[in-house]
Amino acid sequence: MMRRYIFRRLLISIPVFFGITIFSFLIMNMAPGNPVDMLINPNIPKEMLEIRKEMLGLNDPLYVQYVKWLSGLLKGELGYSYSSFASVSQMIGERIGPTLLLASTSLVLGVLLAIPIGVISAIKQNATLDYVLTGLAFLGTSIPPFFLGLGFIYIVGIQLGWLPTGGMTTLGGTGGIGDILVHLILPALVLGIAIAGKKVRYVRASMLEVLQQDYLRTARAKGISELVVLHKHALRNALIPIITIVGTEIPLLLGGSIIIEQIFQWPGIGQLTMEALLSRDYPTLMGLNIVAACIVLSTNLVMDILYAIVDPRMKYS
Amino acid sequence: MRKLVRLQQIILFIILLLVLSACSKTEPTNVAAVNPTSNDITSNTSAKKTITIGIVNAPVTLNQINTQDNSASLTPISLLNDSLLDVTDTAQFIPKLAESIETKDKQTYKIKLKPNAKWNDGTPFTTADVAFTLKLALNPKVDTSFKLAFIEGLNEIGKLDEKTTDITGLHIIDASTFEIRAKTPIDPLVFNERFGVKVNYLPAHILKNVNPEKLSTHEYFQKPTVTIGPYRFTSYQKGQYVELAKNENYYLDVPKIDRIFIKVLPAANLVAQLQTGEIQMNSLPVGLVPITEYDKVKSFDNVHVTSAPASEPAELFFNTEKLPDKRVRQAIAYALNRPLIVNQLLKGQAEIIDGGIPSSHPYFNKKIKPYDYNPEKAKQLLQEAGWDYKRTLTFLIPVGNKVREQAADIVVQNLEQIGLNIDVQKFDFPTLIDKVEKGEHDVTIFTRDYYIEPSLYFTTYRSNDPDSVIRYHHPLVDELILKGEQEIDEQKRHVIYDQLQEVLHDEVPTLAVYSEKRLQVVSKQVLTGKPLNIGTFNQVNQWDIVTK
Repeated sequence: MMRRYIFRRLLISIPVFFGITIFSFLIMNMAPGNPVDMLINPNIPKEMLEIRKEMLGLNDPLYVQYVKWLSGLLKGELGYSYSSFASVSQMIGERIGPTLLLASTSLVLGVLLAIPIGVISAIKQNATLDYVLTGLAFLGTSIPPFFLGLGFIYIVGIQLGWLPTGGMTTLGGTGGIGDILVHLILPALVLGIAIAGKKVRYVRASMLEVLQQDYLRTARAKGISELVVLHKHALRNALIPIITIVGTEIPLLLGGSIIIEQIFQWPGIGQLTMEALLSRDYPTLMGLNIVAACIVLSTNLVMDILYAIVDPRMKYS
Repeated sequence: MRKLVRLQQIILFIILLLVLSACSKTEPTNVAAVNPTSNDITSNTSAKKTITIGIVNAPVTLNQINTQDNSASLTPISLLNDSLLDVTDTAQFIPKLAESIETKDKQTYKIKLKPNAKWNDGTPFTTADVAFTLKLALNPKVDTSFKLAFIEGLNEIGKLDEKTTDITGLHIIDASTFEIRAKTPIDPLVFNERFGVKVNYLPAHILKNVNPEKLSTHEYFQKPTVTIGPYRFTSYQKGQYVELAKNENYYLDVPKIDRIFIKVLPAANLVAQLQTGEIQMNSLPVGLVPITEYDKVKSFDNVHVTSAPASEPAELFFNTEKLPDKRVRQAIAYALNRPLIVNQLLKGQAEIIDGGIPSSHPYFNKKIKPYDYNPEKAKQLLQEAGWDYKRTLTFLIPVGNKVREQAADIVVQNLEQIGLNIDVQKFDFPTLIDKVEKGEHDVTIFTRDYYIEPSLYFTTYRSNDPDSVIRYHHPLVDELILKGEQEIDEQKRHVIYDQLQEVLHDEVPTLAVYSEKRLQVVSKQVLTGKPLNIGTFNQVNQWDIVTK
């Protein structure tokens, strides 16, 4: 049953994936400007620009360009960047690691912050602690991450001098996990706080709903200790909806990290995306779109499967 | 508790899957690959002298024959590569690889290379490298930023024709002497800039078997370890920094600074990292400290702050097809409160000029008096021109340079004060260029590059350039541009360009708003070395820093 379900979902992903590539390609080409006109330098002869366009195949009709690109993709080639002439898969390969590291750390951090805060705030509903915690959560969602990031850089990085203000490794240092972790703290905290802020309210609401269920009263009536009631009976049920919400966060996280990567000079795909976008570097942009599409499609799939695992009531249809 | 453990497992599982699912194309080695794998020696020799220079745009390429005129890329490229000549900040030429450049008729230039010039792997640098580089770069299949159309045997776009491999204008005399013959006599200034300064060389012994069509994607340009410059390539951590080490084999004095990092960081962090000492200097023009931060950086006690001579101005470009009456353009010049922009916005760190040539340039016409701020005169000129006050002017502003955007906002206010209706549209640069090419603008603003060779400031005013930003037609201007390009006598050239600047000043197809004196912020630890408008690294081997 489960296997068939996964198989079907995988099959559906294929046309969706190609749909995404067609749309990305169209939208990208509809954006004004092109990589060659960036060289507006009036001292470059017009003929030179034409030759460059011809060499890059930009004068071909759009569908020809797409088919060329697609046939490259099927052969496992993403082409070469128009500006750096480096291979796109290599460029993305260099950048994806840092992004995944940052995204996953922030996600774990966010969830680890949100669950205890949400649970405590639900148990202490309407007490002062609840107000303080929900207030903090509200603050976490309301402060734009870029602002929080700059604030952290100013206070922790400059005034206190505790942590580096950006980058991923010390310049010319020997690197190592410790060095990366030190650089990771601030950006991960900023993203983590933003995620936690949003999730706390979900956890709290979900927990409150469960707490009012009759079976908890039954459990308590049986004389089970409050701690066990909360952990064993309430929390597990309360977390089911949270899993899907965490899943939806992953694509958002990739988008949100574009700005955070800029601020903290984190050498991830967010930074690469900005650079490629501003120079209309089509092959790199398409490569990045593919990566993003893969991540979103696969997280959706994984979320659905996880949901099926934790909630046996789900129907595979 | 078991449930919590289960939950943690689920989360870990999600993360694991996320990492694994991130497309089969990416290799899983990347986190480790980000660690600098460079020399381990660095960790135990704290006495090594290191300078970190901050820039705000990432270098896109390290290709020395196709720099794409990208200022960020030129920062590492000029440290890695020496050309025949270098240039000082006052646009004087100083010899590097060239021992001498001589010409009797201004058409044939005879170049002698320094006899001890050698690549950083010790291989001698000879005329074979010169011939190899030129033939490869000028191959029609190869992308290059060289602009050598003046050389005999090249076509109009400065390339060899298909199937020709020999450049008739290049004559190799011996291993250290060669001649370049121009199609017609040219001003030595043109030769010195386009050939002497802008041509970098490829090592023939490394690249001799390369296929020209595949040259740009060759591995060498991702890791150009063999070059001929004061520094050699160590690593480029994409999005973070370029690391360079001194060239122990340098043919001039070996540099005193052991390592140079060119660190890429957002403009907002540049000032912060100068304060924390993470970077030792900013860079011009790609690591600009916003002039609005002047008071702040002045207050730091670990840096020296100086101002460079006024640089390339931010200029208004009028679409003269839509604004054909010069009185309207003059009215706009009178309407601008440029003293306010300079004194308030730029804290006095700027000059007011009208033309595109900065005041420090040898060909700047000092006799021209800029338009003063006179809104009454502006209104009067609009009246005379019979201006239709119902018309709306489209003003396209590129985003990215905050100071320029703020200056443009003041410009808009000034124009509204004399009764003009302005529709402000802000775009990223590629979009703006697209709209400008379609002629959707009445006015736009941007900053041109610095050119040593004066004719390059005027090509945009030619009438045979239908898609130019200003779409300008003026017979006298065309004539003077042509005369200026062909004149090879320096004195006569000065006369021509002075006249040309006067005509353009009266005609106002473009108008400079302010010419910024860019801030040079350098750590007090640095003994020698600072960012310059041009030629920053011309004596980088003399740079020095206090070791802690």
